[in-house]
Order: sequence, then structure tokens, then C-alpha cells
Amino acid sequence: MQDLWPRLAPLLPQAERPVRYIDHEFGAVHRTPEDDPNDYSLCMVYPDTYELGQANQAVRILVNAVNARPGMFAERAFLPAPAFGDVMRAEGLPLFSLESCAPLGEFDVVGITLPHELAAANVLETLDLAGIPLRAENRTESDPFVIGGGPCAYNPEPYAPFFDLFSIGEGEEAVPELVECIGRGRRQGKSRKQILADCARIGGTYVPTFYEELSDEEAAECGFRVRPIEDCAPAVVDKRVFEGFAESSAWEPCIVPFADLVHDRLNVEVLRGCSRGCRFCQAGMTYRPVRERSADNIVESALHGLKVTGYDEVSLTSLSTTDHSQIEQILKRLDEELQGTGIRVSIPSQRLDSFGVDMAELVAGQKRGGLTFAPEAGTQRLRDVINKNVTEDDLFNALTAACKAGWTRAKLYFMIGLPTETDDDIKGIASLTQRAFDCMKKAVPPEQRGRLSLSISCALFVPKPQTPFQWDGQIPPEEALRRVNLLRHSIKYRAIRVNWHSPDSSFVEAVMSRGGRECANLLEEAFKRGARFDAWTEHFNEEAWREGARAAGVDVQAIAQRQFGLDEVLPWQHISCGVSLGFLRKDRERAEKEETLQDCSFGTCTGCGLCPQLDVEVITQEERLG
Amino acid sequence: MASKPIPAPAKARAGQSIKRNTDGSQVTYRMRITFQKHGRAAMLSHLEIARALERVIRRSGLPYAITNGFSPHMRIAFGSALPVGVGGDEECLDVLLTERVDPAIALIVLKASSAPALMVKDCKYIGARDAAASVAFPYSFYEVEFSEPLPCTVEELPIPETITVIRKKKEKELTVSEFLLPDITLDGCKMGFVLKTGDNGSLRPDVLMRELLKDMPQVRVQSITRVKQAESL
Repeated sequence: MQDLWPRLAPLLPQAERPVRYIDHEFGAVHRTPEDDPNDYSLCMVYPDTYELGQANQAVRILVNAVNARPGMFAERAFLPAPAFGDVMRAEGLPLFSLESCAPLGEFDVVGITLPHELAAANVLETLDLAGIPLRAENRTESDPFVIGGGPCAYNPEPYAPFFDLFSIGEGEEAVPELVECIGRGRRQGKSRKQILADCARIGGTYVPTFYEELSDEEAAECGFRVRPIEDCAPAVVDKRVFEGFAESSAWEPCIVPFADLVHDRLNVEVLRGCSRGCRFCQAGMTYRPVRERSADNIVESALHGLKVTGYDEVSLTSLSTTDHSQIEQILKRLDEELQGTGIRVSIPSQRLDSFGVDMAELVAGQKRGGLTFAPEAGTQRLRDVINKNVTEDDLFNALTAACKAGWTRAKLYFMIGLPTETDDDIKGIASLTQRAFDCMKKAVPPEQRGRLSLSISCALFVPKPQTPFQWDGQIPPEEALRRVNLLRHSIKYRAIRVNWHSPDSSFVEAVMSRGGRECANLLEEAFKRGARFDAWTEHFNEEAWREGARAAGVDVQAIAQRQFGLDEVLPWQHISCGVSLGFLRKDRERAEKEETLQDCSFGTCTGCGLCPQLDVEVITQEERLG
Repeated sequence: MASKPIPAPAKARAGQSIKRNTDGSQVTYRMRITFQKHGRAAMLSHLEIARALERVIRRSGLPYAITNGFSPHMRIAFGSALPVGVGGDEECLDVLLTERVDPAIALIVLKASSAPALMVKDCKYIGARDAAASVAFPYSFYEVEFSEPLPCTVEELPIPETITVIRKKKEKELTVSEFLLPDITLDGCKMGFVLKTGDNGSLRPDVLMRELLKDMPQVRVQSITRVKQAESL
């Protein structure tokens, strides 16, 4: 492969942070002259800068999975920051992998993870910088296969024309299989179409070109928005589940970066999946079933990982770490082993109902940073609607305990614009927050009250595919601002700070979340007009999206804000995360009736349909109590 | 649950006890580690270097001491900072150990834990009261490589009298002769010079080069390396 380093190095003084591009971190795996140059190759891309991408779990897992197989290898690539991207364009330097500093175009497979909707334009930035034709139909035999996956692949339609294929679900096994299939096909001189047909037979694979779009009438009749036109393509693509997850080691080789990352610590994935069933949450539906790794596995992996990497912090990651049936044992054992080392154990988020003082003490050691809780809604009624099974008392008890144990700062997350929300629910956020602050004050001696701080962070509800709220429209940005202002004026305490996200970027999120294939044109038009790095407040370019929508002739308001009918055929109906459509519909009806649903990993099956559909099961190490 | 207003005294590592001096303070051994910042690692900032080397020490398994505060961290101190883009042959840091480890063994484990571009070269014990790594070496010896020979002799080098820099958002005028020693060498594409850190701060070698080459746009700096740091000349 071509080594672009001699061309890159002289440009680095122009980069804001050269550390993003230099590679050579401790633990990076490089090709050696003894390696077979004919090995199949994957370049795994996170479509944002190094600081965000290097911390990403998917990139680490998939690069490791491919490197662990004989006959293939994987490298990493990240997007340059916008200014340096422009420098590269001006110099004609294509996007490169870190390890070999090779152009992306020379790999067999380019894998792009789709972490969130606001990274959509960065997918095109990646392809454009790499010099790979944006649309799959324009790629030739010498171009790499561009494959996608990750959370946004659960509605792949807005990205469909830009990818050769998508791999739905967990990639530990699927990605090496695809690299093998593509690499072998290319060495044998097969055509792109033949190779794609081979890939389509691998579970979880969706090849958009093998499906035709249907008219509204056809869709209503057939139950899907697209229909296979090749025999190899299934009508419904089921997600992949990595069945060996619970038994697999929680230690994975990892790179210790020089740069300061967003999550700069050792990550140990303790469990996968969360079936609490919050109705707005996509991860809660798509990562099912719950699978726990054992305490022995986790503790040994964490200690080994710390020794090998030299990190001063280990994070026990998952969607809901405190739900692990052995979490107390795990934290106690780690605390004991790490005494006197200055090494910290952290947990990414705390749930109110399983949060005990003991656990907080164990996690924090002597440190008392801020604590974050997510009640999500201000009234019990709305919390029942969204199936967030926590009560006011849970919040008050947790905050009281935390303040007594020495914490002084807390942050609460809320969502605005949830289905059925009224002004009373907004005022409820204010009331709840103020009473929560009263609890904090009561828990500490009067002389310490001045140090207490409570802030709330409001996100605008974004309807996500594969959730019970996928049919619900988003409120318009103006209405979102009105509700935020109502909230701000309802809060009388000056000590409570209110933060909120820009409703304009949340609007784009909703469009890319619920759009169909027509949104691909919108995405391309917006990109042409300068949209990229939309998740960065300073780079979000609303004008580019508005103009892009006009040029593509897409009614974005309708996509984001319209209430879809429960029997409407959705653009992503041919992609299945295993949770059945019937269950989602029933759950949406339960929401309307303010009925909650329990977590099947704590009690009995709730009938989401996943286990029988995918032939998998919930794995907990001990019985979950709670 | 009682609050913990006073930090607990340093905890011993699992299975170990803490050795104490007669005044109750922890017994520590001060080790000075010398490392190089080469190749691509020259592009790292001082903070990035510091973080990376702390990790090297943790990986090495050396018994480092930690602070006793609310936020315990490694007792480590770094030598004077190099700018992004400037390499170093003999950079240093001091770390406190709780056990005396044979320096030859310490060097082996430190090297095994280092990335090649940021390789530990040497380690030795120094006195508890010796000057800190950041102030022990006021003289920095630099070597610069240019893309082509400079079109002048040493005597003709257009060294500016003053250089204006921005420090903490304020402009400050530095008198070059207060920092730059007169012994400068020029040999083809290579230049050698010494910068002295004084009471009024220091002059960055990359800033000096930028000013020096202001009217020679055809010449590019290929590399700047601090080859040596010294207590005196």
C-alpha cells in the first residue's frame, strides 16, 4: 500500500492538533514485511475526529475481531477536523488509515460506523476526502466496498445509495465474515455484483441495490417499502447477535492514545443490552437481549487491562451497569485490589432505582465529582407514558444519600416534547427539580449549602426507528423553544441552571432518523452546500440543510413532525432488531393508557418477540433483584 | 452515612504496608527518568507527553507514590516543556517511588513499557532536595535541520534583536540576546544554538526560527531537536 506519511508530515504544522494524525500509539498494530501483502484488508472509520472516534467501542471491537483472524487485517481512520480536511483537499492528499498511512481507496473494505444521525454528512465527507465515489452505483471494480453498521443502520434508507451494504446488529462475527467474503471475491476476480450476492447470504446483511422501492399502494399491499429483486436478498433482514458475548473475555487489546480523548480510560464492557423498556430509547430495543459477563471475568479483565495499558481509570461500561446482578461484588473486589494505586473505577451512568449509597461510595473512592441522573420527565404521568419506571422518591432518596456521602453537584437529564406532553409536564420538571434541590439542602449542614449546585439538561425528543415512539412526530423547533422558556420561567431557584440543546440540530436528527431513501438526496445536497460535523455546535450549518431540502424537494417537516399511523408502512420495516412490530404497536398503545411494563431481565417475559425470533436468550449471572 | 471531610491517609496497596520516616511522612525514593521525544512524537504537546509517561510508569509496574488529597494521583514532576513540533534527545521527569528498585531493573521495565517514539533512555536516583527537573537545567542545546543550506554565513545570520510574543493574551517583547547565547554553529543544512531560560521566561526555539527565516521563504525547517539540557555551560 502507498505510504502517504511523507506527504502528510510537512502539512502537520498546519493542523490544530497534530496528535490526531500521527498514529504510533502504544498498542497500535502495524503490518510487517513478513505479512502477506495479499491479506484481505479493512479500514474501520469513525466519521468524526480522532478524539471521539478512538474512544469508540465499535471501532476497537471490530478492528480487534478482524486482526484476530488469519489472512486479514484492519486499520483505523478518522475524519480530520474541518480546517485540516480543507488543507488535505487543497494538497490533493486523500483520507488515510492511521497505521499504514495508506489511502482508504486501497483497502478491500471500508467500514463506516453510523453512531448517530448528526454524523450523516460526515459519511459523505469521509467518502469525498477518500476519493471514493459517493454513490455505490458509480464505484468501479477497483474501488473498495463501503459497508455500514451501528445504531443508524436500523434505518439505513437515508444512507442506502452511499453504501454497498449494511451489516445490521452486532459485528464481532459478521464483519470478519464480510471481509473474508469480499476479499476472497476480489482475489478471485468476481464482479462487484457477484460479491454482493455472496455477502447477502451472510446473516444481517442488507444490500440496498438488491431491493426496489415500492409505491405507496404496493407498499401497503406487501407490508414493506422495498422489495427484494434478487433471490439472495431476504425480505426482512434480521440483526446479528454475538452469542458468545457473555463468555468472551471482557479484556480486549486496546490502543493507549497520546491525545486526550472524550472517554480516556480503560473500558470494560460488563454487559450488553438493557430491557428496562424506556419507550423513546433505541438502544434499549436494538441491543436486546440482556447478557451479563461474570464477575470473575470482569474483575480479572479490568485488572489485567489496567496493568497492560497503564490507565488511571477503568470504566465499567454498558447501557445500564448498575443493573448487573453482581455489581456490588465487582465494585468491592476492584476497590480492594486498586487500593493505594490512585486508580479510579467509574460507571457511565447511574439509574435512580438501583443506585445505592454504597455503590456511590465504591465508585467514587475519595473523589466527589458530579452525579448525573436521568428522570427524563417531570411528572409521574409522563414517566409512566415513557415507561421510565422511577418515582420522585427514587430521585429524592438518591440525591439525599449522595449529598450525605459528600457530593455537592448533580445534573438531571430531561426530555422535552415527549409524546402526550403538556405544559403541566413542563412545569412538573421545574417543580421536581426544585424539590430535589430542597432534598439536597436538607441533607447537608447549613454551612455547606452554598456549595450545592444542581443543573438540568434538556434534550428535544427525537423519534427513533425500532422504538414504540417511532410513529410520534417531533414538536417544531419554535414550540420546543417555547417549552424551554416556560421551564426556565417556572424555576424560581437561582442555584438551578438550565441547559438545552439547539432544537435546529435535533430537527435534522429527526429527519435523518425517520426518513426514507428520498433523504439520501437531501443528505447529498446538504453536504454539497457545506454540511459536515453537524454534531459540533460551531459547525452545524442549518442553512445547508434547509437549502438541501429545497433542492432535493423533500418535505422535511412532514418526516420529522408528522404523526405516523400505527398501520402505516415505515421506511425501515424490512430491517428487524428482533423486537416485533406487533409488540411495538401494543407498547405504543400502552403508553397512551399510561401503562408501564416491567423489565424481563428482572421478571417474566414481556413478549417483545426477540428471543424466539433470533433464537437467543437473556443471560444473567445471578437472579436480578430490584 | 457519614461524610468524609478529611482525606484518609495514603492507603497501602493490597498486600503491602507503608514505610514511614520518623516524622510520619512516607518514605520515598526520587528517580529521575530520561526519555527521548523523537520522530512523530515530536508532534506531541507537553500535556500529551506527561499523560503518556505517567502511563508508561503505571505499565512498568514500578511502585510509584501517590498524593494524599481528595484526588489521589501519581507524585511526578516534569522537566521544562518543549513546544509542539520540537523533539528532544534528553527530556526528563522525576517520580517518587515507595520502594527502592534497582535502577538497572527499573530501566528494563520502563523500556518494555514505552512506545518507540517516546522511549525511556535512562533512570537514576537523585537526592530528595535536588533541584526540580523543570529548573535544574537552564541551558537547552538545540539542533535544527533546514530543507536547504542557508544563503549566509553564521556571522550574517539575520538574528532579530527583539521578538514579540503573546503570553496570556498580552504582547510581550523579548530581547533575543538575553536568551540566545552567542555561540552558534552553521554547517550546511544544520544549525546549532543554545537558549538560556532566565528570570524573565524563555524563548521558544520554533519562534526564533520563524523570525530568523522570515525573509528566506524558500527555506523550511525540517526538524528542531533539543539535544541536551545542562545545569551550566
